[in-house]
Amino acid sequence: MTDLYPSLAQCAIVATAFKILLFPAYKSTDFEVHRNWLAITHSLPVKEWYYEKTSEWTLDYPPFFAAFEWVLSQAARYADPAMLVVNNLTYDSWQTIYFQRATVIVTELVLLFALSRFVKSVSPSNKHLAHIASLSIFLSPGLLIIDHIHFQYNGFLYGILILSIVLARKQSTLLYSGISFAVLLCLKHIYLYLALAYFVYLLRVYCLDPKSIFRPRFFNIIKLGVCVVGVFAVAFGPFASWGQLLQLKDRLFPFSRGLCHAYWAPNVWAMYSFADRALIPFAPRLGLPINQDALASVTRGLVGDTSFAVLPEVTKEHTFALTFLFQLLPLTKLWRNPEWETFVGAITLCGYASFLFGWHVHEKAVLLIIIPFSLIALKDRRYFSAFRPLAVAGHVSLFPLLFTAAEFPTKTVYTILWLVLFLYVFDQVAPVSERRRIFVADRFSLLYITIAIPLIVYCSVGHQLIFGLERYEFLPLMFMSSYTALGVVGSWIGFMVVYFTA
Amino acid sequence: MAPPSSHCPRKKRKLPSSFAGSNDSLIVDSGGKSSPAFPLVSFLWSARAGVSQWLVLPLILMAVGLFRWAVSLWGYSGFGVPPMHGDFEAQRHWMEITIHLPISKWYLYDLQYWGLDYPPLTAYHSWLLGKLGSLFNPAWFALDASRGFEDPLLKVFMRATVIVSEYLIYIPAVVNFLRRFTRMQSVPVWSASIALAAILLQPATILIDHGHFQYNTVMLGLVVASLDAILAGRMLWACIFFVGALGFKQMALYYAPVMFAFLLGVCIFPKIRFLRLISISLVTLVAFAVLFAPMLIGALSIEAREALALAPQPPLLQALPVELDKHSMLYAVVFQLTQIIHRVFPFARGLFEDKVANAWCAIHTFYKLHRFEATLLQRMSLGATLASIVVPCAMIFRHPRASLLLPALSTVAWGFFLFSFQVHEKSVLLPLLPMTLLLAGDGGLSKETRAWVGWANMLGSWTMYPLLKRDELRLPYFVITLLWAYLLGLPPTSLETFRSRSQEDSIPGAELHVLTKLLHSCFYLAMIAWHVLEAFVAPPPGKPDLWVVLNAVIGAGGFGIAYLWCLWKLVQQSCRIDQKAEETEKKNQ
Repeated sequence: MTDLYPSLAQCAIVATAFKILLFPAYKSTDFEVHRNWLAITHSLPVKEWYYEKTSEWTLDYPPFFAAFEWVLSQAARYADPAMLVVNNLTYDSWQTIYFQRATVIVTELVLLFALSRFVKSVSPSNKHLAHIASLSIFLSPGLLIIDHIHFQYNGFLYGILILSIVLARKQSTLLYSGISFAVLLCLKHIYLYLALAYFVYLLRVYCLDPKSIFRPRFFNIIKLGVCVVGVFAVAFGPFASWGQLLQLKDRLFPFSRGLCHAYWAPNVWAMYSFADRALIPFAPRLGLPINQDALASVTRGLVGDTSFAVLPEVTKEHTFALTFLFQLLPLTKLWRNPEWETFVGAITLCGYASFLFGWHVHEKAVLLIIIPFSLIALKDRRYFSAFRPLAVAGHVSLFPLLFTAAEFPTKTVYTILWLVLFLYVFDQVAPVSERRRIFVADRFSLLYITIAIPLIVYCSVGHQLIFGLERYEFLPLMFMSSYTALGVVGSWIGFMVVYFTA
Repeated sequence: MAPPSSHCPRKKRKLPSSFAGSNDSLIVDSGGKSSPAFPLVSFLWSARAGVSQWLVLPLILMAVGLFRWAVSLWGYSGFGVPPMHGDFEAQRHWMEITIHLPISKWYLYDLQYWGLDYPPLTAYHSWLLGKLGSLFNPAWFALDASRGFEDPLLKVFMRATVIVSEYLIYIPAVVNFLRRFTRMQSVPVWSASIALAAILLQPATILIDHGHFQYNTVMLGLVVASLDAILAGRMLWACIFFVGALGFKQMALYYAPVMFAFLLGVCIFPKIRFLRLISISLVTLVAFAVLFAPMLIGALSIEAREALALAPQPPLLQALPVELDKHSMLYAVVFQLTQIIHRVFPFARGLFEDKVANAWCAIHTFYKLHRFEATLLQRMSLGATLASIVVPCAMIFRHPRASLLLPALSTVAWGFFLFSFQVHEKSVLLPLLPMTLLLAGDGGLSKETRAWVGWANMLGSWTMYPLLKRDELRLPYFVITLLWAYLLGLPPTSLETFRSRSQEDSIPGAELHVLTKLLHSCFYLAMIAWHVLEAFVAPPPGKPDLWVVLNAVIGAGGFGIAYLWCLWKLVQQSCRIDQKAEETEKKNQ
């Protein structure tokens, strides 16, 4: 198939029109966070960037992102200088809104560029699959909800991630892949979750001889080492020379937060909390002790600090151990079989592990799984079967991010449109797998999608009609997160099977 | 998406006079490789073959719905402009008075503050929406206390009522109409889907209904439903729907002469059918009676009669030659009827309001019309309107063919827009609707029709820019119009319609005439230049409205040309029908 219509550019134009129309939509505190960073980087010397705390939204991204904000602030001056004043808290003149929203759209061009490189990197016979996958990423409801309504710069950041994944495809560009990933880490440290996969892959295919792991290629090791260390030196060097590294560490890794960010992130801990809650009535019969403090707070889970009534507490060490364990498993396979597709699979599984077992995971981090997975979801039908529940659950789990009435139609209709369109198209084009499909997995994903519809209706409308706005307001959130957690975990298990049997 | 390799583009013999059921105007062949002719085609490229309408249709409806909802996030008419606000407040106010007042007072209550001046169906619609809205929050529609209320949630509710009304009336009507119309014209399903997307993204309608705030699509939807009933051969349903349209918004009168001529025509040609004539007139009368019945019955109660007896008489009632007992039932009924007519048709106002792109405003710019008396102007306007619509009406009367309805409706509506009395800039939606529906016809997506329909739509949105600017809808205006132009491959985003494809194509409509190209490019350039002027150059002192007047004058010129083009299309199509009739006659002999 040679005709790739609609082209990426055509989709980008229409999507941009829609995104511009969303300018006046709801924006979260992240909008103010980024405005504040514009102000900090613009009006303060670099030395004070990580010490400034007029606003509660202090700078907590790595230095390159601060520099990125500084670059934006140079243009922001012409839009509205008042947004660059540190003391102008929650300032949102329409010039500010137009400017900040426009920067999200413009910087997303990086994603567009990366996706077009991705399509180019694929062999002609599979080009249409790569094209469809690229469209699905560019039009992703996740990016629309998080970037263009809620407000963040994920399109730009994931663009760099995809670029570095594409660069990892050819031996000649492996070095650039490593460099771009290092740059990405200095932009946003959440990508540390994927770093092990990069480490193993680059070590195996770039630093060691492909034929024998006992023959290191010293020149490559030096090149990669110098470049990566160089990138980090540029980013953190100035702060190290001022002796600010500890302050940076405190800002970037605020470990004082709770296990669950809220009830929302659909991971193992959401299911754990749900199980805990469900066990309370049975605890006396089973002879389990109940933690009375945890029982007292009805809105448990809505605030950051989670404590459990019946089940044992979970510590940071537990979550780290589990995350590390489940990252290690796929990496062993990557080590033995260092193919590009295995590498993308390993990145996806690292994303899964950290999302499912991580400490204080944001629901937005689900993109860390969906976006790399999209690149290989069309490899064959088995991959697609594992992807399907993730696509549903991952996007539906983002719904609670937008809770205003005006955004309800936008988020639901756009997500349904995307799911219907792309799941149908994926289903039509995904090639038949060489191995047998797993009957149970297929039935699971079908059943799972069917349940989504009544659940969404209940959580968005039904609950309020039955209980009113005030009572049991945690219930829809808990149902939603447990349901979506089931989907993410289900797709994770499915993908593990596919990954290890491929 | 079916495995695309199995798809081979259909090669059909090109007929000399029509596009007869081919997709040729959508696919460009270059060196054995086919590619879409304009961006909208490429968005539906995968739906060429083997994709169910059950999938394509919901996707189109969701996509166009998203754009509507996104536009509705922006400002609306009269936001933050006390004391009168604008159309949004008017509609909200009608919901407020209809749910709180007895039906006899609807057309009488505090007329200075947005008194109800639309026909009864709008009043019933407002009542229903007011009842629904009061379930959410009664404060939105509290009598008198809610005037000028600007709660963000109220805005969401009101916006939702527009979109829901549209999806219940306009969209099903357009979808059904297109299905029947394209089948009749043997247009392939794929082309029909593309036409549907183009029609539903018509910029002017979206901007006025979902931006400025009105319920035009309800009226337009009823008109389309009426056309659909005509195509289906259900003339009586057509009457009912059209009465509904008239009963929702009196502006549907722009279409009335054609509908009248057509329905009369089908009773007379090819042979006279009295029974049909009688049933059509009876059903129309009954429909009107049902429409007004609640109003009139509401006026019969004792309290209502007493209230009406005290109210000032509408001028029409004063003009009646007979003197009625003020407390009789008849008086109440006649009062209510004349009051509604008085409110709905404000004859006392001037020839034109504001700066609207029609003939009178254009003439007024160069030759002041104040010097004439109002009655003379009214007669002139009546005469000019009649003159402009008599030809199309006569043609549709003589050839009552469903396929001629669209060009006839647009011609007559353009005539009304250009020459009639008391025209609003928003009324341009009326001629634009049937003209845009031409996209779904045979060869509707060919360069010629697409270029003309697109040009008229761009011009129509452009003449509403001063209005949209007041509502803070500048950005949505640019986004939505340019998006439409882009999707249909029109200037200023693309010169696709101007470029020649290949020499061998000789179908009429495949390439634009040189004069058309020249004319269109002049207008597009004028529109761009005007935007630049308006944005960067202050109008000379003493003439603050210069740019708006310039806009109206250029617009009026363009609409005059659009009128002529529609008329020419009508003539062309009816000639083709005559030819075919002759051919079949010859064959039969």
